[in-house]
Amino acid sequence: MSAVIHGGDLAILLFFLVLNSFYALLLVLSIPEIWEQTRLAEDEDFQRLMQSDALPPITILVPAHNESATIEASVTAILTLEYRNFEIIVVNDGSKDDTLERLRNAFDLYEVPRTYPETIATKPLRALYRSRTRTRLLVLDKENGGKADSLNAAINASRFPLVIAVDADTLIEPDALLRLTRPFLLGRHIAAVGGTVRVANGCTVKDGRVTDARVPGRFLPGVQVVEYLRAFLFGRLGWNRLGGSLVISGAFGLFRKEYLHAIGGYRTASVVEDLDLVVRLHRHLREHKQRYEIPFIPDPVAWTEVPESARILSRQRERWHRGLIASMWQYKGMLFNPRYGRVGLIAMPFFAFGEMLAPLVEVVGYVITLGGLLLGAVNTNFALLFVLVAWGYGMLLSLWAVVLEEVSFQRYHRFGDLGRLLLFATLENFGYRQRTVWWRVQAFWSVFRQKQAWGEMTRKGFESAGKQAIEPATTRRTDAQG
Amino acid sequence: MTSLQFLWVVAVAQGILLVALIILIILNRWFRVRRSARLQPRRQALDAVMQRWTMGQAPAAEVVQALARLPVSLAVDALVTWSARVPGERWQDLSRVLATQWWARVVRTNNRSARWWKRLECARFLSVAATPHDIGRVLRLLRDDHPAVQIAAATTLERLTSPILVTAALDQLPFLGPTVQAYYASALKKARPAVVRHLQQLFGRPDDPRLPRIIEFAGRLEHPDLRAPFTALATHRDPEVRSQVARALGKYPHADSVAALRLLARDGIWPVRAQAIRSLGMIADPATVQLVRDALRDGDWWVRLRAGLALTRFGASGRNVLLAVEVGAHQPSRDMARLVLGLSPQALAEYAA
Repeated sequence: MSAVIHGGDLAILLFFLVLNSFYALLLVLSIPEIWEQTRLAEDEDFQRLMQSDALPPITILVPAHNESATIEASVTAILTLEYRNFEIIVVNDGSKDDTLERLRNAFDLYEVPRTYPETIATKPLRALYRSRTRTRLLVLDKENGGKADSLNAAINASRFPLVIAVDADTLIEPDALLRLTRPFLLGRHIAAVGGTVRVANGCTVKDGRVTDARVPGRFLPGVQVVEYLRAFLFGRLGWNRLGGSLVISGAFGLFRKEYLHAIGGYRTASVVEDLDLVVRLHRHLREHKQRYEIPFIPDPVAWTEVPESARILSRQRERWHRGLIASMWQYKGMLFNPRYGRVGLIAMPFFAFGEMLAPLVEVVGYVITLGGLLLGAVNTNFALLFVLVAWGYGMLLSLWAVVLEEVSFQRYHRFGDLGRLLLFATLENFGYRQRTVWWRVQAFWSVFRQKQAWGEMTRKGFESAGKQAIEPATTRRTDAQG
Repeated sequence: MTSLQFLWVVAVAQGILLVALIILIILNRWFRVRRSARLQPRRQALDAVMQRWTMGQAPAAEVVQALARLPVSLAVDALVTWSARVPGERWQDLSRVLATQWWARVVRTNNRSARWWKRLECARFLSVAATPHDIGRVLRLLRDDHPAVQIAAATTLERLTSPILVTAALDQLPFLGPTVQAYYASALKKARPAVVRHLQQLFGRPDDPRLPRIIEFAGRLEHPDLRAPFTALATHRDPEVRSQVARALGKYPHADSVAALRLLARDGIWPVRAQAIRSLGMIADPATVQLVRDALRDGDWWVRLRAGLALTRFGASGRNVLLAVEVGAHQPSRDMARLVLGLSPQALAEYAA
């Protein structure tokens, strides 16, 4: 028994040594990357860019399902983005509330015939509407088919070569589109590009814009600010130097439409459609030996509301992990396959063994260590120190993300916010991390039971203009709509 | 060393690193706040002087003095921002005064720096303050390895007209990505005479693989001297060249253009036909209504769409054709006519773009 426990401990130690070394590598790689990106962002001449006709036209895809409370404000905010040439396609995905009526009244919609061929099959369209007041706006009304299906319908209808999928409840910063197109202006072979998603909870929102960025005081949303910083600023930046990440946030990612057509658009059966899409994009482009990049750039920002209750957060994390497991299983042929270059040899193994299996290994580690302690097979000092070192490492990574934020974009101006960031980066490992591990382990159970339905997501909605008060629950997402 | 001792070493190292990071974060914030407080009044002073200089109430020397009080990167930022608001001749005066400043001389020498951000700073500076003496530097920056430096250097073409720079930029144009091409093109438009001369030379080489991109750019210039070379290329064997010619000819309402477009509207390749029909709509010669009407029966959806949209530009005669086709026997033409007739003026304008 003692030998088994020692063997298990050793295996887990080795696993975390390899995994943490990889994180350390990402951390080191993120330094030159953020340096370069910050320099480029600071030196960009937006006035000149705005006047230039070089900016590639962009179609903004906005899937909406039962978004009645926020749709008007969201679309109005998107319509006022600082970009010269863009159109917005809002897809009313069989909403049961009055989302379409709200749009019709707010933007003076009138029905138009379809003016494009259906290149990606979707649920039937009921009608298309243009706006008398806003020529950039096209509204599709279709039968409910889920977010991926809505995005596919919008891709079919889009006229421009670049498309960006935006959640109806995401707030995009006015210059975010200009910034997102930077890699295209630098002449790179871009297949897709991702921007940063930040946490809007606690921020002051006015006219659909975050006017004052704050770190929320409550623990759950506050700790997610640190999580998001870590995921975006150092995780994804590091991946830029390792052949590109497998994830571009579904809430804020710009794609070249021809490639989306080539892979048949979003997969409607997928649980996490953004991960699935990017993995398929890598696969397609590698198989066709095309030169491409899928970079992440940190300065374009979209703000999103994160769950404030453990119940909803648990569902979200369980679903994300379920999607990761499903994608890794679906595309297992890419794993360690040299045909897919660095994606097959580095990214896929990292996501499969590091991201996907890490919670299982961590839980097993806790169980073995506790068992060993109870049986007297493990030295108490060693076990405690090991846990301390593991948590300390987690803290280091979180603090590093705060460092990157501070030396680059510094969105949180107040010392109080900085203090909260440091506090949450420290406290994250005591309780919160273990809970997220447990939620992610539950995803394995769900996959085992072949659970396909999406969890119900309840959002509070952003602050109304100029006030801090949180509105009561306004947006409800169910089943197929994410 | 036992494993326990090793863990202790790691734990202590981590602890030190954690404390160091927290100190670093706090110091960085403190330093930034102080720096910002120090520089803000200087920035405001510069803005005030610039404002007065723009209105002719302050000499350029005063502006230069205020610029010298800022760190170089901020001074360059301020110059770039203000350059868009000040008339060209007045700005050239400032450029001449700046040429003698020590910090400006340092920035200029950075065109040979090993660090790309220094070269980028130099390119941005030259994009607003270059004088004819800087042509060699700009040429070097145009050929830089870093795309951001190239882009900034290309902007110089808007202010500094030089055949050498134009030739260098035009030679690079076909090898650039579409977005960068468009950016170069917008800068090159300002140097039109030199560009047109060089383009005419390039059109004389029909086997040049760069030809499609060159035609695409030339089409944007809408210069009358380029119409004849375009029509001459309407029978080129490369469909990409024919497609670009078909697109460009829409901006040249001339009998020769219409003749070439008639030919291209019957091309075997559908993108060429679609572009030719679109251009016929832009010229809107009544004699071509029948040809555009025939294109409504094309086997390709996009050509039919272009034909439908083109007919809306022929005024009443085009609309009558669409109304007649809408009740005709040919199903695809009927569908397209119905679709186009249902479009709002705004939607039509957008599709025509």
